[in-house]
Amino acid sequence: MKDLKFAFRKLRQSPAFTSIAVFTLALGIGLNTTIFSLINDLFLRGLPFKEPSRIVHLDNGDKARDLVDVGISAPRYQLYRDGQTIFDGFAAENFFAFTLTGLGDPVQIFGGRLTSNYFDVLGVRPILGRNFLPEEEESADVALVTKNFWQERLGGDPNVIGRSITLDGTPHTIVGVLPNMPATWFGANPIAEVWTTKPFQIPGFSYEAIMRGAFFLRAVGRLKPGVTVQQARTVLPSLEQSYRAQYPNQIDSALVTTLRSLPEDVTRNFRAGFATLFAAVSFVLLIACSNVANLLLVRFSGRRREIALRIAIGASRTSVVRLFVTESLVVSVIAGAGGAFVAWHLVPLVPGMASKFLPLEAGTATSLSIPVLLFAIGLSILTGLLMGIYPALQSSHADLVDGLKEGGRGTSGSVRQQRFRKILVGAQVALSVMLLVGAALLITSFIRLSQQNIGFRSQNLWTGAVTLPTSQYPDPPSRQRFVEQTLHELRSVPGLESATISGDIPLVGFSRYLYARGDRDVPPVEKRAIAPGHEIAPGYFKTWGVPLLAGREFNEHDTADGQKVCLISQTGAKEVYPGENPIGKTLLVNLVQWEIIGIVGDVRSVRVAEAPGMEFYRPWAQHNFPFVNITVRSNLKVDAVTKLVQSALTKVNPGLAIAVPQTMDAVVARALGQARLMMWLLGIFAGVALLLASIGIYGAVAYTVEQRTGEIGVRMALGAQTRDVLRLVVNQGMKPVVIGLGIGIISAFALGRLIASQLFEVSAYNPALLGGATFLLAATALFACLLPARRAAMVDPVQALHTE
Amino acid sequence: MIKLKNLERSYPLAKEKFFYVLRDINLEVEEGDFVSIMGPSGAGKSTLLHILGMHDHGWRGEYFLGGAGVHHLKPKERATLRNEQIGFVFQQYHLLDDLTVYENLDIPLSYRHYKKSERAAMVADMLDRFQIVGKKDLYPSQLSGGQQQLVGVARAIIAEPKLLLADEPTGNLHSSQGEEIMELFRKLNEQGMTIVQVTHSEKNASYGKRVIQLRDGWIVKGEQ
Repeated sequence: MKDLKFAFRKLRQSPAFTSIAVFTLALGIGLNTTIFSLINDLFLRGLPFKEPSRIVHLDNGDKARDLVDVGISAPRYQLYRDGQTIFDGFAAENFFAFTLTGLGDPVQIFGGRLTSNYFDVLGVRPILGRNFLPEEEESADVALVTKNFWQERLGGDPNVIGRSITLDGTPHTIVGVLPNMPATWFGANPIAEVWTTKPFQIPGFSYEAIMRGAFFLRAVGRLKPGVTVQQARTVLPSLEQSYRAQYPNQIDSALVTTLRSLPEDVTRNFRAGFATLFAAVSFVLLIACSNVANLLLVRFSGRRREIALRIAIGASRTSVVRLFVTESLVVSVIAGAGGAFVAWHLVPLVPGMASKFLPLEAGTATSLSIPVLLFAIGLSILTGLLMGIYPALQSSHADLVDGLKEGGRGTSGSVRQQRFRKILVGAQVALSVMLLVGAALLITSFIRLSQQNIGFRSQNLWTGAVTLPTSQYPDPPSRQRFVEQTLHELRSVPGLESATISGDIPLVGFSRYLYARGDRDVPPVEKRAIAPGHEIAPGYFKTWGVPLLAGREFNEHDTADGQKVCLISQTGAKEVYPGENPIGKTLLVNLVQWEIIGIVGDVRSVRVAEAPGMEFYRPWAQHNFPFVNITVRSNLKVDAVTKLVQSALTKVNPGLAIAVPQTMDAVVARALGQARLMMWLLGIFAGVALLLASIGIYGAVAYTVEQRTGEIGVRMALGAQTRDVLRLVVNQGMKPVVIGLGIGIISAFALGRLIASQLFEVSAYNPALLGGATFLLAATALFACLLPARRAAMVDPVQALHTE
Repeated sequence: MIKLKNLERSYPLAKEKFFYVLRDINLEVEEGDFVSIMGPSGAGKSTLLHILGMHDHGWRGEYFLGGAGVHHLKPKERATLRNEQIGFVFQQYHLLDDLTVYENLDIPLSYRHYKKSERAAMVADMLDRFQIVGKKDLYPSQLSGGQQQLVGVARAIIAEPKLLLADEPTGNLHSSQGEEIMELFRKLNEQGMTIVQVTHSEKNASYGKRVIQLRDGWIVKGEQ
């Protein structure tokens, strides 16, 4: 208790030291806690499913054709379901958007069509009612809704079970209310709310087309007790073999199935990024710790006389160590509280900041979780112990007689202490170099990414999705009529510059199709290339600002009954028809020959970072689905455009609703969001690291100067001039900095691999960026050295000698 | 060699008042002289020595050293003149703790921009002359007080100054060690070096040729 009182008194006596130490450590702990909270949300919180590690996600891909996780086809799912022996249950989901009517204005809601056992396989029990029954899978119009849906859309109706809701014009009976589902698995934007059965039906697709191997299902299996993921993987090849043998000519015959546990699956896209962030934020904490350790070492070694005096009057070395450890613990506990306070304010900002591009629900994780709080407190206490123990032990070994004699005589501490302090400064510099290099790489990468030509003009472009109920729009002609009527209405609305409709929009969703040149021998299905295909209405290229490079656009003569025509992308023309004019030639898609009538500019429709390739466009009149995206160019605000479009849509069909109205600028920003978030976070960490390292270097050099005032006075009395003193101080201050820079550069090279996967068009070993980061840190360190060096050069030798 | 005319040194007190440490100092020291400055504590002895050594610049009056008017010189010119002409011995030796004997001797030469080879020769010569070759790799803490002051004197004269200033050079030494140092000073003076020392000891003063008595900042005896 006495130690605690003394520690508080000592800290109050030196507010500058206390403030710097607490600020430094609080910043380190606060940032760590924030990132740890985010990691906790993403990686550690766990899915609210029963034994999630036993659930696996099966997906399909084909490396040779650059296909990754494209989904499982219905026949493949059925064959696996019937042929497998490793799962207790095997289920599938088909993501779907429904139009909900009868509960106020029509709205689009999201969810899926499921096999009846889907939630049983996940281990989710309804809070009311029941899950689907096997007999409901193929034909029953039943629905499961989330707790949110029940409470917000149905007012928490106690008689919800058995109540009917109208989805896509068809009444569905609610059989159960589920807990709200996790965004990590079902997605955060938009949130899933409703599920129905009939998983193998897609409006607009015939049964035959689906059974040809179109891949659209997300399949999950619950491993039998004792079966590991590894063992399950070994079973896959025989299942794949059976599928190929039974369905040799399916679209998906050549695809390879992958299997991952759910916890691994939901985080794998973020692992590399968060490993980098975790490393970066740990570096910041290490820098903060070494900074404070340095300050404490300096502080304690400057109190050698006090230690000697305490020991001379009977204090044991243990009690001296205890005293100093108490002092550093007090600093770290205050800093821990400060860090928790910082995190308390930062953590709630994270979901809002990251929910658009990470599977986080805005509104969740708005407070510190208990484990995270404990982590922060534990971290601060451990930091305090580590920081206190070494300097305290070192200082308590002070020579008693020397210490008492020394009085106020300047000393820069023992050789070991000096070495330790240099190591701390060098370590800070090395860690800072790594962070600066990382930040420089991510910033450069982001700049290059955002400078990519995405192929369309995103400014003033509004977009919204509509699902057409199959009961009202059962076939392509009905859907073509819808498009004609809607465009007619939209084009008569003042304030809308132009309007179009398409099956998909860039950077949001797209369909891929197998294709082949129609003028050559058609390769077998597994050798056929695959490319994104878009179904578009007239006015598409004008509205999107995509240039027509050759040939002609679609016009009113390109009807359902006319010659099947298509346009292809510029890169597609070069890759598929090298050295030839593709116009007039044909493309084989869906077993139909499509005549190429024009070439258009490349559009980054899949990802901003994905180099353009073959893409083709077909007229809506000749090929369409009941999913439409309305796009209008207008300089009005989003809400205003949404109202205008909704009223135009209501004139066509009052039962339709617009889903996810947004600007394309927002879509593009979201596509760059993760890269931007990484850039900002690493940039902030690097900035903090630079600041802390500067404080550390300044503190170390300033202390040395203060302690060596007498020596500097002697040197000046012996003939040293201003430049000699400057050189002396800067040389000594910069020595550990230079060593740290060297180690930092080598380490940055070694860590390049970690960050390489997150970079776009920039090498992790870019010499200019490495050099630039090193130069920035060296310049900052030099400045931090020069300030106290200037003070040293102004030492009055007479006064200094008197001090001595 | 040294000529001081109406030299004063004061420190400001409150309300435009000053505390005078030295008042109206007029003093001449010839080349080859050996002067001892004596007086009670607070008389201004060390202040006068530091002004002569050009460590203290806050004085008024005229100071000539070897014909150069120090009072006209800029700080940088004073530093150059000091490095050419003056060596300084301190009561507390003021050897640099982190440097060996060899490195302590090398320091003044490095500040006078001698080449490395020249410095090595001069340090070797000095180690030999003071018979401390065997101690060249030792640190100050490994030497006795007398040995440390011997190194202090060697360091003061290594750059071959014409004027040696010593601030109570034997103040921290055992009497026999003190005598050894004073004998060394006598020899240096006999070889032509001008010495000005501050001392409390009549015995040490007797090694010199004349004594200046200071009291309350005034020269009360020995003024020229």
